[in-house]
Amino acid sequence: MKIISCMRPVPDPASRLVIDENKTWIKDKELTFVASEADNYALEEALRLREKHGGEVVVLSIGLAHAARVLRSGLAMGADRAIHLNDENFAGSDEFATARVIAKAIEKDGGADLLLTGVQSDDLGTGSTGVMAAELLGWPHSTVVIAVDVDSEAASMRVRRELEGGLSETVEMPLPGVLSVQFGINQPRYASLKGIMAAKKKEMKAWTAADIGLAAEEVGEAGARYDVDEVFVPARKSHVEVLEGSPAEAAGKLIEKLRKEAKVL
Amino acid sequence: MILIVTEHQDSKFKPITSELIVFAQRLGRDLEQPVTAVVMGSGVGDLAAGLGDRKLDRIITIEDENLAEYNPDGYVAALRQLIEKETPFLVLTGHTTVGYDYLPRLAAGLGRPFIGGSVDYEKQGDRLLLTRQIFNAKMNMRVSLRGEPPYFTTAAPGSFPGDEVETGGTPRVEAFAADMSGVEIRRKVVERGEAERGQVDLSTAPIIVSGGRGLKKKENFSLINDLAEALGGAVGASRPVVDAEWLPREYQIGSSGQTVSPKLYFAIGISGAIQHLVGMQSSRCIVAINKDADAPIFKVAHYGIVDDLFKVVPEITKIVKALNA
Repeated sequence: MKIISCMRPVPDPASRLVIDENKTWIKDKELTFVASEADNYALEEALRLREKHGGEVVVLSIGLAHAARVLRSGLAMGADRAIHLNDENFAGSDEFATARVIAKAIEKDGGADLLLTGVQSDDLGTGSTGVMAAELLGWPHSTVVIAVDVDSEAASMRVRRELEGGLSETVEMPLPGVLSVQFGINQPRYASLKGIMAAKKKEMKAWTAADIGLAAEEVGEAGARYDVDEVFVPARKSHVEVLEGSPAEAAGKLIEKLRKEAKVL
Repeated sequence: MILIVTEHQDSKFKPITSELIVFAQRLGRDLEQPVTAVVMGSGVGDLAAGLGDRKLDRIITIEDENLAEYNPDGYVAALRQLIEKETPFLVLTGHTTVGYDYLPRLAAGLGRPFIGGSVDYEKQGDRLLLTRQIFNAKMNMRVSLRGEPPYFTTAAPGSFPGDEVETGGTPRVEAFAADMSGVEIRRKVVERGEAERGQVDLSTAPIIVSGGRGLKKKENFSLINDLAEALGGAVGASRPVVDAEWLPREYQIGSSGQTVSPKLYFAIGISGAIQHLVGMQSSRCIVAINKDADAPIFKVAHYGIVDDLFKVVPEITKIVKALNA
């Protein structure tokens, strides 16, 4: 079984995010990038499926040098090889433009049995890129997946989806397919030292837009379906009362407020 | 026309449907566009009639046995045919496990813009701009839609007040016959899972102390337990805590866990992702303790302490214990 697992480079969660001068994104030149957290759960699931069914796990990422670094971390976790979509023109992609690159890269790589993504990215966070890639590939898909059981003989799988309010549904669907993997489906492994060393020798293909048969106007900002008007910090709707002072002072004020003002204690 | 795709379960509309109607009614007034609600399924005639007093232009039912249970292939095929006939300006549904499961697919197939999780909109001239959250709700991004309609968006739950639906309308109810003969339903539901509530029912607890990722490791959760015990309250958790297996899933508060509205809710080391907020924001009094002043939890909190929880929480516990003594 061939599984492609997407790794989206996003700023390290500990980063302080500052909006850029154009107010259309954040200042990301100086930031450290890591794989979007949900993508680690997707990759772990891919590795477990490979351990069970054999085959290979290919990690895929779009971006410049930071994407290559994220892919190395995926190889260190245990992926067999990597596809680095490396082209300056990919900058400014929306979900659709990203999905198009993913779908074209998979076609160029000879297809796959399964495409996995995290349930949502830590930046745009709409969870729609994998669904769009499924449409472009003509494959079925499932989102918010919390269990995967593949029957490789029958080329089908049973997948449990998490629904609202603690409910779930199990669906059956054929391979090849696209799954967006929910947080908590597994405990992602850490890369071992051996894994990190081995990663250096693993194959990493680097493809530009032209390599996967896409013109510059089909990718990145040019290929997006919307324009960013403004990125901003939302105005606070409620008026939170921030209690100042040392920890002991703030704690004292809080209890006083809860008793005398809110009357909930 | 603004086309809402309603969501329902067990012959009842889900709460998101009212929120979608409010969103569409406001947008429709601003853009001078009529609002049409679509009810899809099998045997949904009575359900659709139940929307009869809402201020809508039309209600369209699409009935087919292939739509009896939600599945993306059936929904995409049926809606695609309806869109070709009706040429809506905007297709709107909920940012839910149904809505974001199929709407991106429908939009991508038509090559049209899809905006996931809209929380607000703005009209600039005759252009529509939609706002959605990015970076886990730390920031918002307002976008303008490229090209010709139809445009597609899902509305984030909790963004529009479902109790402000305008009534007094007399919408026509019409049936749309989608041709489902050539449609292959590749994904089929084989089993439904009930909520695993276990022993923990937080819905009746008057005080809940919840901890999040800011606690850093499992052992530190004792800070939460100690405060909850001193207050005589229950313990809750945000999703990352449960994912990391610091607590069983039944303690999770939020869209995929329990929904609570106690008189007092402590959110400690919880940044406030929308999925958590929808599960607790109707609490009467919310206290947030987080060292990140920009954390979205402070948007719904009544009282906040912006400091290191490891220093603040023991002080609170100490004072509560002294009061109890």
